[in-house]
Amino acid sequence: MKFTIDWLKEYVDTGDLSPEALADHLTMLGLEVDSVTPVFPELAKLKTAKVLSVDSHPNADKLHLCEVAVGEETFTIVCGAPNVRKDLITAIALVGTVMPDGTKIKASKVRGIKSFGMLCSERELGLSESHTGIMELPAEIEHGIPLLEALGLDDLIVEVDLTPNRPDCASVIGIAREVAGITRTPLKLPVESATLDHSNSDFSVDIEDSEVCPRYAARLIRNVTIKQSPWWIRKRLLSIGMRPINNVVDITNLVMMEYGQPLHAFDYDTIEGKQIIVRHPKNNEKTFTTLDGEERNIEPDMLMICDARKPIAVAGIMGGLNSEVSGDTTNVLLESACFGTVSVRRTARRLKLPSEASYRFERGVDPGGCVTAMERAVSLLCEVADGEAMEGGVDSYHGVRPFNSQKLRISRTADLLGITLDYDKIADVLQSIGMRCKPKDEDTIWVLAPTFRVDIEREADLVEEVARLIGYDNIPTTLPSVNLSYPEQDPKRTLRKHTSNLLADLGFSEAINYSFVTEKHVSMMQLRDDDNRRTQVQLLNPLSEEQSVMRTMLLPGLLENLKRNINFQNNAVKLFEIGKVFTPQGEDEQPEEKERLTCILSGQRSGTASSLYYSEDAVDIFDAKGVAEIFLETLRLYGCGSDAITFRTPVENEQETFSDPSQCLILDSDKGIVGQLSKLSTEVAKEFGIKQDVFFIDLDFELLCNLKTAAKSFQQLPVFPAVKRDIALLVPSAVKAGDILETIRTSKEKFIEHCEIFDVYQGKALDDGIKSIAVSVTYRSPTKTLTEKNVNKSHIKIINTLTSKFNGSLREG
Amino acid sequence: MEHELNTLQSQARELLAAVENSKQLEEFRIQFLGRKGRCSTIMKALGKVPKEDKPRLGQMANSVKKEIEILYADKQKSLSLITAGSSSQDNSIDLTLPGRKPEIGKLHPVTQIMNEVCAIFESLGFSVAEGPDVEHDHYNFEALNIPAHHPARDMHDTFYVSDSILLRTHTSPMQARIMEAQQPPLRVIAPGKVYRCDSDITHTPMFHQVEGFLVDRNVSFADLKGVLTVFTQKMFDKKLELRFRPSFFPFTEPSAEVDIACVICEGKGCRVCKRTGWLEILGCGMVDPEVFKKVGYNPEVYSGFAFGLGIERIAMLKYGIDDIRLYYENDLRFLSQF
Repeated sequence: MKFTIDWLKEYVDTGDLSPEALADHLTMLGLEVDSVTPVFPELAKLKTAKVLSVDSHPNADKLHLCEVAVGEETFTIVCGAPNVRKDLITAIALVGTVMPDGTKIKASKVRGIKSFGMLCSERELGLSESHTGIMELPAEIEHGIPLLEALGLDDLIVEVDLTPNRPDCASVIGIAREVAGITRTPLKLPVESATLDHSNSDFSVDIEDSEVCPRYAARLIRNVTIKQSPWWIRKRLLSIGMRPINNVVDITNLVMMEYGQPLHAFDYDTIEGKQIIVRHPKNNEKTFTTLDGEERNIEPDMLMICDARKPIAVAGIMGGLNSEVSGDTTNVLLESACFGTVSVRRTARRLKLPSEASYRFERGVDPGGCVTAMERAVSLLCEVADGEAMEGGVDSYHGVRPFNSQKLRISRTADLLGITLDYDKIADVLQSIGMRCKPKDEDTIWVLAPTFRVDIEREADLVEEVARLIGYDNIPTTLPSVNLSYPEQDPKRTLRKHTSNLLADLGFSEAINYSFVTEKHVSMMQLRDDDNRRTQVQLLNPLSEEQSVMRTMLLPGLLENLKRNINFQNNAVKLFEIGKVFTPQGEDEQPEEKERLTCILSGQRSGTASSLYYSEDAVDIFDAKGVAEIFLETLRLYGCGSDAITFRTPVENEQETFSDPSQCLILDSDKGIVGQLSKLSTEVAKEFGIKQDVFFIDLDFELLCNLKTAAKSFQQLPVFPAVKRDIALLVPSAVKAGDILETIRTSKEKFIEHCEIFDVYQGKALDDGIKSIAVSVTYRSPTKTLTEKNVNKSHIKIINTLTSKFNGSLREG
Repeated sequence: MEHELNTLQSQARELLAAVENSKQLEEFRIQFLGRKGRCSTIMKALGKVPKEDKPRLGQMANSVKKEIEILYADKQKSLSLITAGSSSQDNSIDLTLPGRKPEIGKLHPVTQIMNEVCAIFESLGFSVAEGPDVEHDHYNFEALNIPAHHPARDMHDTFYVSDSILLRTHTSPMQARIMEAQQPPLRVIAPGKVYRCDSDITHTPMFHQVEGFLVDRNVSFADLKGVLTVFTQKMFDKKLELRFRPSFFPFTEPSAEVDIACVICEGKGCRVCKRTGWLEILGCGMVDPEVFKKVGYNPEVYSGFAFGLGIERIAMLKYGIDDIRLYYENDLRFLSQF
């Protein structure tokens, strides 16, 4: 909602309130002021000028050579306008002025004569469509003053961000009523209130469904002259960015902005049968041409204004081309009505035709104000369009619901707001905005709201009014007294926080990607045709194809992030995301939402850490495995006495289609597969435009939450020293290190505390098909210091077991 | 024996005086004071001297060893002073070299702010609940007093999945879900992702909100002001000026918007606060009686307040992020800053 300070002052005395103070007051009343800016800032540099002399241009027939006065100075201007003449007061753009269309006025030679500016037409100034000549200003206006001052446009435009509950303030008078409440001054209205004499015989009105058309008032005005509106009307419309059209249309727009009541003017002579019927379209009425020239499909539940034979307007939204007021119109039928909010909203939506009128009807127009606003327009039509208003008219208000008083309890209001209140205080503030109050009993007030406050329906609405008018600033600040309670912690949320912090400490940054992705991801990932992740939740109205389905996996988003980082010269990327994936269920059912945890690793292992100390080697599958191990160990799901999760190689078809089958591990649990870690297949990496190796860990976060963690339990610190023995084995290449360790661990030998691989070698100095694996075994007894003898016995047995089981031998030297 | 001890003493003095660097000092230590050094050799030899000489020679040997140890310690001290004092020495350590930093990652700024917001309310005894991103029209709108064709739906550009299923446009559906399932008193916050079909420099189609509500007997608007004042001042560290101004939400009445004095210009007026000096940070209000009725609470018995705030906006204000689209590109140059 836009209005100007000057316009507002027509209806209310703003006292000594500055525009800024006024804006603050309105904001604190719930009418949030977005901006206060000068009207037509682009015309700020234009001045008025007086033409002193006009000579013909020596080199061009149609051009004139003018001397013009701008205050103290005179300028030579070349001008082609036919209406330029001596003593004319007009608008001038001097050298350096930027015109509304962006062109900068320069001193330039026009056919050999230098011109120092431009005399402007109304169109050039954006004030009207008129371009037949330069602007003509009244002779009494001084030259050399700012044009905006001369036009009465040195005004401020205020833009209010209206909330949907306050349609009454979608009008300058509505704002003025609120201001009158602040300044406690009376309103000055052009028409206070009016009623209509029903003695009409020129036309009739029938309303088929008063539910969707509670009120319909109309009057006939004969013998109007269609012409340009007087400047004061055009000025008002221009100042809030509305385009003046002609006097009749401008008056309906002006009154709509004044009173908030949309009006429509029909060309009376186009109305067949002199009959207005408010009804739904008939079966054969499928299309209708609105006055913007568009043919629109109309549907049976839309409300139309019709004459005896055909629709002539879409109720509350836009008039028809067939009954439009044109240059030839002489008789005008003026409509001022109230239409059902839902009906107008639905129709405006379906026709994709939001208008100033529909904006107001959708939110609720004052059912008590139709005739008042109409009378204001009628008097203007007589005044500025030379019309003659016919006696009487029609005012059908069968659908207007009676306006009842509401009960407001003083104690309830005080309790809800947390302040002390009495009758006088409440009545004082409510009456300041036109509500009527009457005590019912000690604690109850009868409150009658004015009809324009369509939002006041319940006690709660009145409590809000009291709070708003007293001022939220005047309500104290307290803390609620509530019973102490312990908020239960959601284990999933706790684990998510723990996981995130842990992964960040391990060098992974957290990514958050959009939940909606391109449909193409599942193909880019080369999922099998029967993979259920190919079934995605589709959005009916996506912003783009890129964001059209709900994701079924996190990895594609992370791969796009990786690609972006590589593009910006950072190829060392470790990212993780914990987020939901969505699986469709039945039609009109919510999808299943499950959280997953996905990590990607790619590029230099040490990341951005200095290559002064760290190698520039790229990550490999063991980085991914190591992260998974330490992560799961810390969560107490792996190692540390837990067997909740085991790592194993995939069996047939178990690995993802986007995994490199030779570098893939399944993370298994007794509750099912938790996820996998793998190298991304190079073909899929290529789909995402990535040329370097990528490794990922992808886990079912929900399942992770449900696994049993190993309890923390203290182990006595060893008292006696350990003995470490190394074994260097030569075994066939196919032997797995894990099997060697497992054999040692499960051997029944006493005193084995720990064993680990400390070297693996294959290559020079060894025969083909043979590798060397070095294992270190730690022996310790809880009760004594082990002697060589104690250890040797066990150690030799282990060596023998290993060499025989794996077909190996001890490496010499 | 006596002679040997004297020789040891004088040689040690001589040699130690000639020591110039830590390498020579270490050689000296090994030669004289090491496990197989000359001192221990002579000490071992003490075992073989005649019984009557033992006390005297033992005492002498001990004092010689002690002297050498003291001299060694002094030399060590003076040498380390030299090293520290003269960086021009070839073998000194260049401490201007960077430290050996292990690489660590960062949590997304949205998560960081979200954690901060939740922690403040959790400290006030609020529990945390999470709900579905893909929601029923009922919970997103109807239960919150926003019927179909209500103009308030204009405030929500909604992504639809079907006629009655949509991507939640706010975290407020959790109000209805929790009230439906539990009885007062309630103190709950509900963080999560929300979606609106809107995308430009100040809007992304997905963003994060935290919803909160408190329902009990005798909860007032003054209590709402109190709780949100505590929150705002904790969140923005300083005693920031804030104001509550009337607004409209279909599910609260009275409704308010909370503004803080612009953190960028400190209330003087700048581009970020659109020259008003104020920044809108959250919406709130007293739970509308209609919402209570829909979940079967008696509005005559219970009252409560609810609030909702946008995480990206708070991150933007706290960290000065001026392009909201950066949040979801996951560029490490962005993520590593927080």
